[in-house]
Amino acid sequence: MLNLLKVDIKRQFMDKLFLVCAIIGGALAIFSPVLYKLLFSGLGADEFLDSFVSAKAQFFTAFSPANNFGLIAPILVSIILCKDFSYGTIRNKITSGKSRVSIFLSMFLSSTLVMSVLMVAHALITLFVSLIFFDYQSEPFKAADIGYFMLSLLFELLVYVFISALISFFCVAMKNAGVSVVMYVAVNFLFSIIGSITMIAGMAVEPDSTAFKVLEFLNNSNLFTSTMIGTGTSYELSQVFAVLVPTVLGSALFIFLGIWAFSKKDLK
Amino acid sequence: MEYILKTNGVSKKYKNRWVLRDVNMSIQRGDIYGFVGENGSGKTTIIRLITGLIFPNEGSFELFGKSNTSPDILESRAKIGAIVESPSIYLNMSARDNLKMQCDILGINDEEKIKSALAEVGLYDLYSDTRKAGNFSLGMRQRLGIAMALIGDVEFLILDEPMNGLDPAGIVDIRELIIRLNREKGITFLISSHILTELSLVATRYGIISHGKIIKEISSDELRNECRRSVVIEAEDRRALLVLLAKTIPVDDIVPVPNGARIYGDIDLNDTLSAVLESGNKILSVNCSESSIEDYYLSVTGGAHHA
Repeated sequence: MLNLLKVDIKRQFMDKLFLVCAIIGGALAIFSPVLYKLLFSGLGADEFLDSFVSAKAQFFTAFSPANNFGLIAPILVSIILCKDFSYGTIRNKITSGKSRVSIFLSMFLSSTLVMSVLMVAHALITLFVSLIFFDYQSEPFKAADIGYFMLSLLFELLVYVFISALISFFCVAMKNAGVSVVMYVAVNFLFSIIGSITMIAGMAVEPDSTAFKVLEFLNNSNLFTSTMIGTGTSYELSQVFAVLVPTVLGSALFIFLGIWAFSKKDLK
Repeated sequence: MEYILKTNGVSKKYKNRWVLRDVNMSIQRGDIYGFVGENGSGKTTIIRLITGLIFPNEGSFELFGKSNTSPDILESRAKIGAIVESPSIYLNMSARDNLKMQCDILGINDEEKIKSALAEVGLYDLYSDTRKAGNFSLGMRQRLGIAMALIGDVEFLILDEPMNGLDPAGIVDIRELIIRLNREKGITFLISSHILTELSLVATRYGIISHGKIIKEISSDELRNECRRSVVIEAEDRRALLVLLAKTIPVDDIVPVPNGARIYGDIDLNDTLSAVLESGNKILSVNCSESSIEDYYLSVTGGAHHA
């Protein structure tokens, strides 16, 4: 298993697409805060900038799976993962006596690591560039903010654990980069649409009603559209559940489905 | 006798079409097993089954004495190296990086093994070459694939059409490598090939497969005997000759040729020729000849397909 993990991590970091992905991530990390700055300067509203935009919000928004790099990174990692099928190198692992379970788990763990590295690097560059133009947050920074920041970062990474499980599943189920990417984008769009519907529905119901609470939970637990992570100063228990339930259960589901699909599949 | 591979009624179907039916074959330690069959006969399907890429619908097989249904089969697979259909290489990596990846899969940390594997297949110059495998010729990729299959101290090497894309010198190199590895390291081989004459230069045993069924397993000595016994009788009335021969000789041993018939196996030539003359047919020629492996293949498969 460790040998496979080493191979999978190496092949992903050595791939030219990883470099392309890193360059795109770096460029978008600079582009987004600079765009905000230019927009507010252009409107002559520099004095309002800190009330609307913060470096902290920029950092956590950078993780959003439905936005720029959050959408691009899983697509490119999917393509790299699927190269084991297009090159036929998956056969080397199977004929060398590696179990399909360990091959899938290695694929999942390596993509989680690669995706986490890419997203954290992208978000950190975004944070550093943002700090040039904006305050970290509108309120004064407190010691408790460090804990909140770390917990939020952990939640964001859990989202990418789920996304890695999802793309690894598509990769072994489809065995084709093109189809895997289409499937991932379709799922992303579907959840974005669902997110929009539940958000609009939430505006139409009475606040504090059961329906409102259910819709709020659904909004917060929609990993593709949720804006709850990192935008406050602390988490309520329901918000923690809204993150943990879909990430943990979703990851477990797609790991199980991936192992199940791969263990039964005939390979060329 | 130690069997490296033994299949018991293995069958495989894709959708509703059976591509292998009740396959029984065995490979003994030290064999160079030549796997012969027409396109689509099921050679690669069997190789895929053995290597674990696909699963049988019926039947089972044992690899190094371990059943395919037992978890221990993974230990057996660790002793094999394989090229299935085409070499499985990372086209975006150099030859050395490809071999390093294979070493990592197998948990080998020895740069010397990479050098010696490249040297074995005549690609030592590529050790320090940073060119990506995607830029290699088909022959170079084939050699690199063999080097990757070889690197893990394997006991059983499965090569699916290993001569594909190789130039004449490359074919000779790989043939010599196979013989050397078999003699010096005792590696058992399963080699599928269309080039039967090439296969006949290395194989010690043959398995002939047609339409998903093993038709014949034969040793190279037996094959040599079979190939020796062949008589071509040409007669004025070819049809009458074939009808007459079919009365006394098993139909499977008679292969029609343009003016007569080729007869395989032991026959009493005097009796046969007398019978032809007595039937009123005129004999044009009689030739006793040593047939080739191709002739033998055509005779056992009914002559309907070409390998």
